[in-house]
Order: sequence, then structure tokens, then C-alpha cells
Amino acid sequence: MLQIIIQGLLLSGLYALIAVGFTLIFSVGRVLNLAYGAYLMLGGYAFFYVSQTLGMPKLLGVVAAVAVGVIAGLMKHRFIVKPLKGDMVPVEIATLILAVVLQSAVVLMFGDSSKILHSIIPGVVQVGTVSVPYSNVFAMIVSWTVLIALYLFIRKTHLGRAMQAVSMDQKGAAISGVNPDHVNMMVWGISGGLGALGGVFFASYTQLYPAMWVAPLIIAVAVVIVGGIGSIIGTLIVAHIIGFMEVMTTSLIAPELRGVFTMALIIIVLVVSPKGLFGREEIH
Amino acid sequence: MTSNLNLRHAIYWALFAGLLFAMPYLVSKGDLRTMIFALYVGIFAMSWDFLSGRTGYISFGHPFLIGIGAYATAILSYRFDVPVMFSIPLAVIITMVASTMFILPALRIKGSYFALVTLAFMELMYQLVQVIRPDLTGGTRGISGVETITRGAVNGFYLAAFLAFCVALFLWLLTRTRLGAAQSAIGMDEEALKGSGINATKLKLFTFVVSAAVAGLGGAFYVHYLGSIAPRAIFDINFVFTIIVAALLGGAGTITGPLFGAFFLTFLLEYLRPWLPGAERYLIYGGVALVLYMYQPKGMYAIAAKLRAGVMK
Amino acid sequence: MTILALDGLVKRFGGLTATNQFSADVTEGESLGLIGPNGAGKTTIFSLIMGEHRLNEGAIRLKGEAIQDLPTHARIQRGVARTYQVPRPFAEMTVAENIRVGLTPDSIMAMIFGSSNAAEELALAEAVGFEAADLDRLPNELSMGDLRKLELARTLATGAKVVLLDEVFAGLTVGEIAQISELINEKRRSGMTFVIVSHDLRSLEPLIDRAVAMTAGSVIAEGAYADVIADKQVRDSYLGA
Ligand SMILES: Nc1ncnc2c1ncn2[C@@H]1O[C@H](COP(=O)(O)OP(=O)(O)O)[C@@H](O)[C@H]1O
Ligand SMILES: [Mg+2]
Repeated sequence: MLQIIIQGLLLSGLYALIAVGFTLIFSVGRVLNLAYGAYLMLGGYAFFYVSQTLGMPKLLGVVAAVAVGVIAGLMKHRFIVKPLKGDMVPVEIATLILAVVLQSAVVLMFGDSSKILHSIIPGVVQVGTVSVPYSNVFAMIVSWTVLIALYLFIRKTHLGRAMQAVSMDQKGAAISGVNPDHVNMMVWGISGGLGALGGVFFASYTQLYPAMWVAPLIIAVAVVIVGGIGSIIGTLIVAHIIGFMEVMTTSLIAPELRGVFTMALIIIVLVVSPKGLFGREEIH
Repeated sequence: MTSNLNLRHAIYWALFAGLLFAMPYLVSKGDLRTMIFALYVGIFAMSWDFLSGRTGYISFGHPFLIGIGAYATAILSYRFDVPVMFSIPLAVIITMVASTMFILPALRIKGSYFALVTLAFMELMYQLVQVIRPDLTGGTRGISGVETITRGAVNGFYLAAFLAFCVALFLWLLTRTRLGAAQSAIGMDEEALKGSGINATKLKLFTFVVSAAVAGLGGAFYVHYLGSIAPRAIFDINFVFTIIVAALLGGAGTITGPLFGAFFLTFLLEYLRPWLPGAERYLIYGGVALVLYMYQPKGMYAIAAKLRAGVMK
Repeated sequence: MTILALDGLVKRFGGLTATNQFSADVTEGESLGLIGPNGAGKTTIFSLIMGEHRLNEGAIRLKGEAIQDLPTHARIQRGVARTYQVPRPFAEMTVAENIRVGLTPDSIMAMIFGSSNAAEELALAEAVGFEAADLDRLPNELSMGDLRKLELARTLATGAKVVLLDEVFAGLTVGEIAQISELINEKRRSGMTFVIVSHDLRSLEPLIDRAVAMTAGSVIAEGAYADVIADKQVRDSYLGA
């Protein structure tokens, strides 16, 4: 029982971090970024390269991963989203192609086989009868910190409110003096950074391998669909629903069924309430 | 139905049939095997195109449909000894029925959400196939030793070519009727289509079921060509990628374009092999696809039209 | 005889009540002007009649049959159709193809096995003032006047007997206004029923038998055009806007 609660909390925090970057783009940029999962892959491999291949400090690896994610996000905005004028269907398709291209680039550089990441912080902490790796605790703390910071950023800062304005109405925002283009660019950067950070933790949770972008993409999709687009609180709540559901399925029913309930949940929510449970489409 | 068909079209189709017939005499066995693969990808891409190319309802989970057809016939023939001549038609029907059950609730969903649901369907299927009745599906390993219905490259080619030709002609004829115009109208302004007195939901359902039938048919024959099936080989995002890119590069909404797109992609991949034996191949292949798509989202059809206009000038 | 009866229509968008107990009867063969300031709820009324928005309260009857629960396409098949304030042609279809969609029957079999009727398409195009050479033009080559004509043709193609025209004159030149007016008058003579929304009251006046004025979602005056326009409440609502 304790095991389930602890694992559920850890996993859910991570899922929330992964999903929030995805929901930002969906809400502000109004496009489905199917290459979002690729940020996680890039982040994971950047961390691996810096901290394990080059042997630099782990923290530097995390910073490098986030930087790679931000750059990838900015480039995607500049070279794909802008030329396609943010048109939904072409952007979705182009990002899908891009994800596959990035995956093959990673295979080329790091090979096909999966890699094990060393723990960011070695050691375990004993909670009752359950031993929890420090790394996972660290991941959860960072996730929560980032989410709270993002929430405050959107609510309290000028830039954050500009993001909110653009997510509500691109034209209206332009009239009121916000440049939607700059805001969009920024959001693509932030989303890339968040994804890459999530990727470092996700890869240490599971494994680092070239096709690792699909599973977290589906999770992000699930959280966003069920939680509703743009809701940070909704994202957090649904990440916990899905995280706990997965942990419970894995430990109580069968590990193979892990994702089945997530998929079923997506389908049911979409059919019953296409805007999700907390959705308003603009970020809030 | 006949009003916008003319002799020129008939000649093109006859030439195409003739070319397919002559192919085994023109190319090596190896190329022929590559073509068989291209033809099946072409069938899947045409099925995708019929659903997504015109209506703008993008399917990111097409292998879901293909997989139902493939698994249905594989299970029927391998586990229950149903003769292939019955198991394949049954598989097509099963695909149509199963996909209808899934899609009925999803018909309310629009735009990006539709794409997401289809992706979710595919992942759901991937996981279910491995855990539900693995004694039937073969679980993670899948089924091998499925009865093959052709021997040798030439026969395999003729079967695939016959199927692809029929599918292409059938879907092409459909899209040249007012049905095709109404499908395009869905993609342009669904509300205005309803405002023209047409039941868009019924039209989408019909389109989806026809697309599913073709996907199921292709999947069923494909599994009897390969002789084996495994979940990761079918319900795979890279497979989605191949199908969609083939359709887009060929020219979405044109039906025959995706078939040529499939040939282009398959041979691109094949001809890169001697120079780039490893993973680089996929990088180049994806890169070419991305650049072409960014340059001309309407595909080779549009590029060809542009070139022709340029030459004429 | 009443052909279209609107009975206590209420539509809320979240906290905003766009139409509030709106009632009006349209008599067969008449042309009714629906006027009111911006945001009064005129377009919303059209969307409710067509089923593009769901009604919160009230009833809509067409030839005596309650249609408020029917889907949009079924209402059109019963003989009512609309044009949009901002024209919505099928952007990648030619004039002829746009009209063809309006003519297409709602039956998959008929779509596949029937064939389109070029003469009928041409006749409809000519009826709204296009020439044969215009049939192959695309919407992005058309003027606002042409776009409104195209939409009118597509609407007439559905065979509707009751036609709702939203801001028919917006964005048109004087010549185009005259052309569309003449067309509407001709259709009136042939017995077609119209509900017309327009800000251009001077152009609207000769086209209508009767007017209904609304503001903030409710009817404030109804009757002969001159009386309605002289009404104090109507004058105030326009001035206030
Ligand atoms: N889809 C909608 N969602 C929210 N509010 C709407 C919507 N459509 C119209 N409204 C509001 O309803 C009111 C009436 O609008 P409308 O019917 O377009 O007025 P009119 O056509 O008379 O100018 C306006 O306040 C408008 O902002
Ligand atoms: Mg209006």
C-alpha cells in the first residue's frame, strides 16, 4: 500500500512535468506537437553524453539537456511552424516526420541499443519498508518546483500574462500590443526545455533508447486530453490519476496492462467530454 | 458517374495495368520483392488517403485497421484452420465492423483530437494484442507459420499488383464522383457542407468504413504474403510514418499519388542500402521526406504539375 | 399561412444571453426584414433556425413541424437554408463545384451513381448573375459581391423555400447591391420566402414586406417598415449602439 502511494506520487510528478510542456504548445501555439516526445529523447541523450560519455558533473548534464531542448524547440518554431504558418494539419504531420528523423539521428550517433543512466544522486532512502532511490525523489521535487514556478510565471509576470492572452486570442493579443510571434517562440523554447528535463528523469526511470519518445508522448497526450488543454492544475490532477492508475495496474493486476487503462481513459473522456475534464483551451 | 471520365483516363489505366503485367519481365527478382512491399504500402497509403487526404481528418493510427485485418485472418487460418479463401473476406468484414464500433463515438470529435484518438487506438491495440488471449494472438512474439498463398516473387508480385490496381481504380472512381467532392467539402468547411443539406456524419462514417475495408484487405493479404505477424511490426509509429509520408509525398487526396509515393519511398530506402547500410539510411529517408513536404505539402502531383507548366511555357 | 414559427427562442453563451424569448412568425411567400444593432442576436437567430447552435429554450416550427431537434442537414432537406454574414464558399472548389455541392442529394448511393447536371449548375449560376465563363473561377478570384452571389446560388441549389440572408449587402458595391436586390425581388415574385438581415436599411427597405426589430436578444417592434423604423425604442437602440 505504502509502496503504491510512494511510487504513484513519484511517477505522477514526472508525468505532470512531461505533460505540461505539451499542453503549453497545444494551448498557446494551437498545434499538436507530435515531435514533443523527441525533446525527451534529446534531453535524455544530451544528459547521457555530457555526464557519462564526457564524464562531466551530473548537474551540468541536466543543464545541457535543458539547453538542447530549448534550442530544439526554438528551431522547430523557426523552421517548421513558422514556414507552415502554424497551419494545424501540416504542422502535425511535419512534426511527426521530424520525430522519426530525430530518432534515426540518435540511432546514428549512439546506436540502437538501450543505455542505462547512472543515478543523478546515488543511494536510496528508506521510507517504512519501501526503499526509494534519491534520484526519483529528486525528480519529483524538481517536477513540482518547475510546475509551481511555471504556474506563478503565467499568473504573475507580464510575459506570462502575454502567453495567456495569446492562448485566448491571437488577434486580440496582437491588438493589445503583444507580439504573438515572440510569445509563440518563447513558448516553443520553454516547452522544449521542459520536455528535455522530463526526458532526463524519464530515461533514468526507465531506459535510454532511440524509440523512447513514443511512450511519453502518449502519456502527455493522455494527460492533456483528459485534463483539458491548457490547464496546469488539470494537468497535475490528471497526471496523478494516470500515474496512480498505472502503478496500481502494474502491481495489482498485470504489468503488461500498464497502458491499457490510460488508452481507455483517453477514449472515454474524448467521447464523453471532448474538451477534457478541466479544459478551456487557453492556459490558466 | 461517367460524366467526368474520358478516353485519356482509360488509356492511362490500361498503360498502368500493362506496365504492372510486364514488370516481372523487366526487373530482377530482388527489385520485384521490393515492389511487392511498395505495393502493400501503396494499398495502405491509398486507404489512408481515402480517409484523411480529402476530409482533413488525419489518422495517426492507421495500423490499427491494418492490424485488425491481419490478425483476424492470421488467427482464423492458423488457429482454426479456416481456409484462406474464407478467412480473408471474414477478416475484411471483421475490420469493418470492429472499426465502426470504435469510430462511431469518435465521429463527434474534430481536428487534432481525432488524430490523437486514432493514435490512442493504435497504442491500445498494441497493448491489448499482447495480453488478451495470447493463446490466440501469440502475445508479444506474434504468430509465425501463417499460410502463405503465393510462391515466389513473380506470383507474389502479380497478386499484390492485382490488389493494388483494383484498390486504386475502385477508390479513384469513387473520388471522381460527387462523393469525392463532398469529401473535399468536409475538409474545407464541414459546417457549410451540412448547411448544403448533406449529412456529414453519415459521409464520414461511410468514408471511414471504406478506408477500413481497404486497410483490412491489404493487411490480410500482407500477412499471408509474409507468413508471420508481430505486434511491434504492425502497431508501430514508424509504420504510420511510412504510410502517411507515402501518401503525402505522392499527393494527398489523389489516390493514385500515394501509390507512387509508396514506390518512391520504398525504392529510395532500397537504393540507399548499398551506400548507407545502417541507420543513416533512415535519417536521409526521413530528411528527404521532411524537406519535400515542407517544400510542397501537396506532394509530387503538384510538383509534376508545376514542372509541366514550366516546360509548356 | 405561417411557414416558419419561432417561439420563445432562448440561447445562452455561458453567462451571456444572446437571444431572450425571441418570437416571430414568418408567413409563406413574404419577405421579412430582421433589423437591430450589432450584437442584437440576429445571426444567432439564424444559427438557431439552422441548428448550428443548440437551443436552450423555445420551439422552431417549419410548416407546422417542430424542427428544433433535427440536425442541420435534415432542416435543409425540409426547405430552409441560410447564407453567412462572412461568405463561406468551399475555398478550393470552383463556382460550378460549389453549386454542385448544393445540388448534391444526401444519399451516398446517389452521390456515387448519379451524375452532376451541368445545365442545372449553369442555370443556377446565371440566375444569380454569373456568366458561363465564371463557372471555373475559384473563390479567391471573386469579389465580395461575387462571393455573396455564389453563396446565394449554393443556398438556392438546396431547393430551400425559406431562405435566410445574413448581412446580404455588407461589402458590396452599389452596382452589386442593385444586382442582388433585383435577384431577391425576382425570387420573391416566384413565391420564395425570405428573412433578410441587413445594416443597410435603405437597400433593405424595398426588399421587405414587413420588419422585426430586435435588441439585446428580444423583439422590440414589429410591423410595417416605416412604423418599425419610427418606433422610439428602435431609434434609441440604434443610437445607443
Ligand atoms: N459562438 C458564440 N459564443 C459566445 N458568444 C457569442 C457567440 N456567437 C454570438 N455570441 C454573442 O451573442 C451576441 C449576439 O451576437 P450575434 O447574433 O452575432 O449578433 P448580430 O448578428 O445581431 O450582430 C453577441 O453579444 C455575441 O458576442
Ligand atoms: Mg450578425
